[in-house]
Amino acid sequence: MNRHDPMSHEQASELLPWLVNNSLAEAERDLVHEHAASCVVCRRELHELENLRDSIADASAATEIPAPDMRRINARIDALIEKESRGQVFLSNIREFFRSPWRLAFAAQTAVVAVLAAVLLWPQIDEPEFTTLTDPQALPEGQYVRVVFKPTLPASDLSNLLDTMNLTIVDGPSERGVYTLRLAANPGTADREAIVADLTSNDGVLFAQPVPSGVQR
Amino acid sequence: MTRSKAEISASEQKAANELVLLDAITRRDRGAFAELYRLYHPRLRGYLNRILSNAAIAEEVLDDVMFVVWKDARKYRGQAAVSSWIFGIAYRKAMTAIRKEGRYQSLLDRGADVNTVPAKASQDVELIQAALVQLSADHRQVVELTYFSGFSYQEIATIADCPVNTIKTRMFHARRRLKYLLPILAGADEEKDREQA
Repeated sequence: MNRHDPMSHEQASELLPWLVNNSLAEAERDLVHEHAASCVVCRRELHELENLRDSIADASAATEIPAPDMRRINARIDALIEKESRGQVFLSNIREFFRSPWRLAFAAQTAVVAVLAAVLLWPQIDEPEFTTLTDPQALPEGQYVRVVFKPTLPASDLSNLLDTMNLTIVDGPSERGVYTLRLAANPGTADREAIVADLTSNDGVLFAQPVPSGVQR
Repeated sequence: MTRSKAEISASEQKAANELVLLDAITRRDRGAFAELYRLYHPRLRGYLNRILSNAAIAEEVLDDVMFVVWKDARKYRGQAAVSSWIFGIAYRKAMTAIRKEGRYQSLLDRGADVNTVPAKASQDVELIQAALVQLSADHRQVVELTYFSGFSYQEIATIADCPVNTIKTRMFHARRRLKYLLPILAGADEEKDREQA
């Protein structure tokens, strides 16, 4: 593109086919002409494209196009119109039927009865009867403590400890290693705290705490 | 080269006439449809013949295109010329037919050997047709719509439903390929003539 050329060579070159087929807008056409006047490459290309256009025009003229035969498309359109009119006849029959207010009222009544019948007769879906393991459940009546044993405590020592202190495992261990233990008798608050203190002082126990009554498992 | 005022006025008149016909088709006017069909038949048939290289399929696709025009005339919103709208339908139908028939692949296969020149390719017309067959479907469509059908690049972008730069790029590659193919085909043709002599 020189100083006076507002269109680059690339821009002008890519528009040449449409200059040749005479479809460029006036402003664009003038710019391409202006560029081609000072660009030997574009002028040569333009000449080649004009030759191509002329040959193609000859090719077009040489191609024999048969006379239009509308029989097939007319048959398709007839079929479509018939189909559409069948649909329209159906709709207009329905409209005609409901033109009478008595018929409309009857249809509305029938619809209401049908909805009511469906509601009444629809099979009831029972709630599923199952519980998951994570469902919270209340602990049975009694005194409980929560205990965390040392992971290194042998099972035999754990068993001895439970026997000695009359404790029964009712839940656990949880994911964090917490056991819920039931006290054998129903001791008073002081006794229960003494049992908790004994447990806490045991080497095999990391943590012990009484469970307040009414707490869930 | 420039279009005269008389030519512009004639093309505007033609476009207005097509709009009137399409409007009448939305009201299910069979006469208007027959007129539009007759107006477009030569252009569409020539276009489809060259793109599909099969007269029977071209006629079938032409009917499909005009059937869509009948059914969907109401969908025409006037953003593009009627001719661009109709050719847009034809473009998509042609591409579908090419894919469905595997025609594109077979044309590419034929195009693989540039020495495959038709026996009577002794004239420019036949050379060009032989070269066009060897372009990809997208490139051929752009050449076809530009040189045979006379559309502007903006109209072709509307027809092919893609940006104008894509059309310019396709044309650039098509021109380059034609420039490469035509001398080879012409050379092969001359050789064949010499052999026959």
